[in-house]
Amino acid sequence: MITFENVTKQYPGGTVAVDGLNLEVPAGQTMVLVGPSGCGKTTSLRMINRLIDPTSGRILLDGKDIQQSNPATLRRGIGYVIQQAGLFPHRTIVDNIATVPLLIGWTKAKARDRARELMDLVGLDADMARRYPHQLSGGQQQRVGVARALAADPPVLLMDEPFSAVDPIVRASLQDELLRLQAELHKTVVLVTHDIEEAIKVGDQVAIFKPGGHLVQVDSPQQLLTAPANEYVEDFLGFDRGIRRLSFLAAGSLELDTEVIAGQDTTASAALAKVRGAGAGWLLVVDPARLPRGWLSSADLEAAPGSSQVGNLSLTPRGHTFRADTDSLRAALDATVLSATGQAVGVDADGKAVGVTSYERLRTAIQRGAAGQPQPTSAQEVPAS
Amino acid sequence: MSWALSNASYLAHLTGQNAYLALVPVLAGLLVSLPLGVLCVRYGWLYPPVLGLTSILYALPALALFVVLIAYTGLSDTTVMIPLGVYSLAAIFPSVVDGLRSVPEPVRQAAIAMGFGTWRRLITVELPISVPVIIAGLRVATVSSISLVSVGALIGTGGLGDLFTDGEARDFSTEIIVGVVLIVVLTIVADAVLVLARRLLTPWQRGAGRETRTASMRASLRGQAGGGAALT
Repeated sequence: MITFENVTKQYPGGTVAVDGLNLEVPAGQTMVLVGPSGCGKTTSLRMINRLIDPTSGRILLDGKDIQQSNPATLRRGIGYVIQQAGLFPHRTIVDNIATVPLLIGWTKAKARDRARELMDLVGLDADMARRYPHQLSGGQQQRVGVARALAADPPVLLMDEPFSAVDPIVRASLQDELLRLQAELHKTVVLVTHDIEEAIKVGDQVAIFKPGGHLVQVDSPQQLLTAPANEYVEDFLGFDRGIRRLSFLAAGSLELDTEVIAGQDTTASAALAKVRGAGAGWLLVVDPARLPRGWLSSADLEAAPGSSQVGNLSLTPRGHTFRADTDSLRAALDATVLSATGQAVGVDADGKAVGVTSYERLRTAIQRGAAGQPQPTSAQEVPAS
Repeated sequence: MSWALSNASYLAHLTGQNAYLALVPVLAGLLVSLPLGVLCVRYGWLYPPVLGLTSILYALPALALFVVLIAYTGLSDTTVMIPLGVYSLAAIFPSVVDGLRSVPEPVRQAAIAMGFGTWRRLITVELPISVPVIIAGLRVATVSSISLVSVGALIGTGGLGDLFTDGEARDFSTEIIVGVVLIVVLTIVADAVLVLARRLLTPWQRGAGRETRTASMRASLRGQAGGGAALT
């Protein structure tokens, strides 16, 4: 656990970078410090491993004042990841990762074994071990940076804008990787970013700073989106805060329509009766494995010969699907909006159709979610297919 | 050619003397430049005055220095080596500073944050990364030092330069040409050794390192510009 007790950092000349910060980072959780530039978030981070010393106040690491520790010793116990990775250009990947183990006196062989283990953990091919940093892409370098920070298995990991220097696709995959690693390793992570989306995606807790080094609000991402403390936080969260809140509501709360699904060998007349009985406009055609094939409108069915099998008619593409069990309401809404029929197919892990959405059903689920406690989802805002 | 062959052992002796007179000062220049460079990077305000001083020393004509030094060190090797050492310092010192400054800031930050102490960081991170730039300065110093030794012939300690004074006195051009060729060969060999050393010390540089390369080029360009002044 990391505790900031009334910490202030004032630079000679009077600039106050951090102003009376009180903050607790619970062990095993990810705390994201977010805010615009000049808000003191990076200064706060760098005070934890004493790259910067506070002007007043104390920082405790597991109850112990870090000011009492030798800086070099303290730092060897704290992983540190920075924006440009900061890898040693003159050392191979495996030796870069082995840096801290070697510093704390491991044998070279043991340190390299550990380094190879970590390469595997962060998803780097073993054949990259003997390469040099400049031979890797930005995303791969950043993975090495994370592996290097984790090498000596420090309980605390500090990440200073770790994913800002890579393109959005790589960034998203690195964020997913961090979530995966964190689920496995349970480090106490403090991550600095200026990207509120990133904060909401990777943070267990998000601390919002404003210029002048003031902490404005600390809360879980969903609580932030639900109840921003003031206008500043509201503005910082952005205009589509309501939509993004849906990321924290499980698609499982949707009551999907299972009536309007028909096997491909159903006759057109039986299918038409089904659609009319459900009071719906569209029928979803599935194959024998219940994989969704496409849609037929009631007009399509009326036009078709009553005895023809629906699987042989010309189908409207099935559009986007979402995972009914693990996706969020946001993914379900997204899939629905993108779908030509205004309905989206909820599928299970095998891609089999579970049921279909409608705007009406989404509205009900959203209203219920807004009123009650949001249910946790295992995956956030990842629209399927 | 036959003259060269019949005097092979004398020429070998002169070549060896030339190498000795040239390279010991380069080594001394390097040994002084390293701590001086480290200091000037750590305390940035030191760099401009120290650089100014070494540049002024670099501009001093060699012959004038010899004349001054003869009063103290006589017609000895030392009299030749002291000016060469000063020129080497002037060529190598800025490249040490440039080299240390070529270490990317994130790399330095990461080293500090991982718990490297000052000395360990210097020796295992900053100096190894500086090697290409420092060797660029070393090459300039070595090349100019080898050819400058011949000026020492004017006070009787000139290595291969003795062939010039002797050749001129005897009006024997072959001797002068042989002297020039041997100096060029010695220079090329010494330079090749340094290039090889750089390749061995910087395996990570192969096929990349545009930035460090630009920095080395800058260092060697400046060295050449200064070298011209020193020869006068």
